[in-house]
Amino acid sequence: MRYGLLVQGAPYSSQASHSALRFATALIARGHQLECVFFYHDGVYNASRLAAPPQDEPHLVDAWRGLNAGHGTQLQVCIAAALRRGLLDERESARHGKTGHSIEPPFELTGLGQLVDLGNQVDRLVTFAP
Amino acid sequence: MSSSLAANGDMLVILRHAPHGSSWLREGLDAALVAAAFGQRVSLLFQGDGIMALVPGQEPGALGQKGTAATLDMLAMYDIESFYADASALDRFDMAPDDLQLPSLPVDGATIAQLIASHRLVLTF
Amino acid sequence: MILHILNRSPGTSLVYRDTLSAMGPEDRLLLIEDGVLGALTSQVRHFQSVEGRLFALREDLASRGLEGRCDETVQVVDVDGFVTLTEEADKTVSWF
Repeated sequence: MRYGLLVQGAPYSSQASHSALRFATALIARGHQLECVFFYHDGVYNASRLAAPPQDEPHLVDAWRGLNAGHGTQLQVCIAAALRRGLLDERESARHGKTGHSIEPPFELTGLGQLVDLGNQVDRLVTFAP
Repeated sequence: MSSSLAANGDMLVILRHAPHGSSWLREGLDAALVAAAFGQRVSLLFQGDGIMALVPGQEPGALGQKGTAATLDMLAMYDIESFYADASALDRFDMAPDDLQLPSLPVDGATIAQLIASHRLVLTF
Repeated sequence: MILHILNRSPGTSLVYRDTLSAMGPEDRLLLIEDGVLGALTSQVRHFQSVEGRLFALREDLASRGLEGRCDETVQVVDVDGFVTLTEEADKTVSWF
């Protein structure tokens, strides 16, 4: 089956990211396809390239990157939710006259329309919220 | 209160949070608007504290936060016309169904279950 | 059949009531994260109306030291079982 995940919880604040990652790993191991993880609400913080957790804690941002590298899962971040919260890629950073950027590939800033598309493409869309 | 078979649709957005206290309601409404703009048939269910979105006379916040009342007025322009309100929450907050910012059909639990079953995708905010 | 996923304890949030009232007669309920507190013998009465259709995620019970306190009427599933539940359901609804 084709799956999509909607993640709405910030990393290290709630269990939502952990639960979503566990579920993602398990569904892939069962032979399903994880098309995309869409980050919305405070879930957009999962995409911060500047996350620096202590070494003895799971690195959630790296774990998301691993899903993309190992399985081709798209990592899409709602642009409206992200920009408000200070999460910008290089292009948006330049557009807003900022000096740094906080999102980089494989995370992509995208519109909510992509979430609607995802809901239409996949067999199951599962939400993980804080 | 309606307990008849609820409408079909592509997406049911369940709004469970009150305005101003968090961004859940606003971001849920944004998802509904975008889905409708993409041609989806969208229904909205205001449930629990979410029915506070329907209180008339809301204002922007003290710092100029927009709130969501103005967004509700835009829904019709996007052809979102199916509005449901959790009847038990209306009771709990002593809200009259005919005194809501948007005319919404009060629904009981059984009808909510039908709404969930009859929409292909269900998102909760 | 629809899979409802609940991550709140009945002790801190009334969302479980809205969840239960929104469930159809064949629907299933999976308790995850803090939701697993509802699976304890002392709490499970809140979920009487879905007995036989009530599941709890093993790793969320175990990490909280609660596996031994989970009521025997609750079906405990591991994360593979979670995936299976979503395979068997027409769709999922998350409550929080």
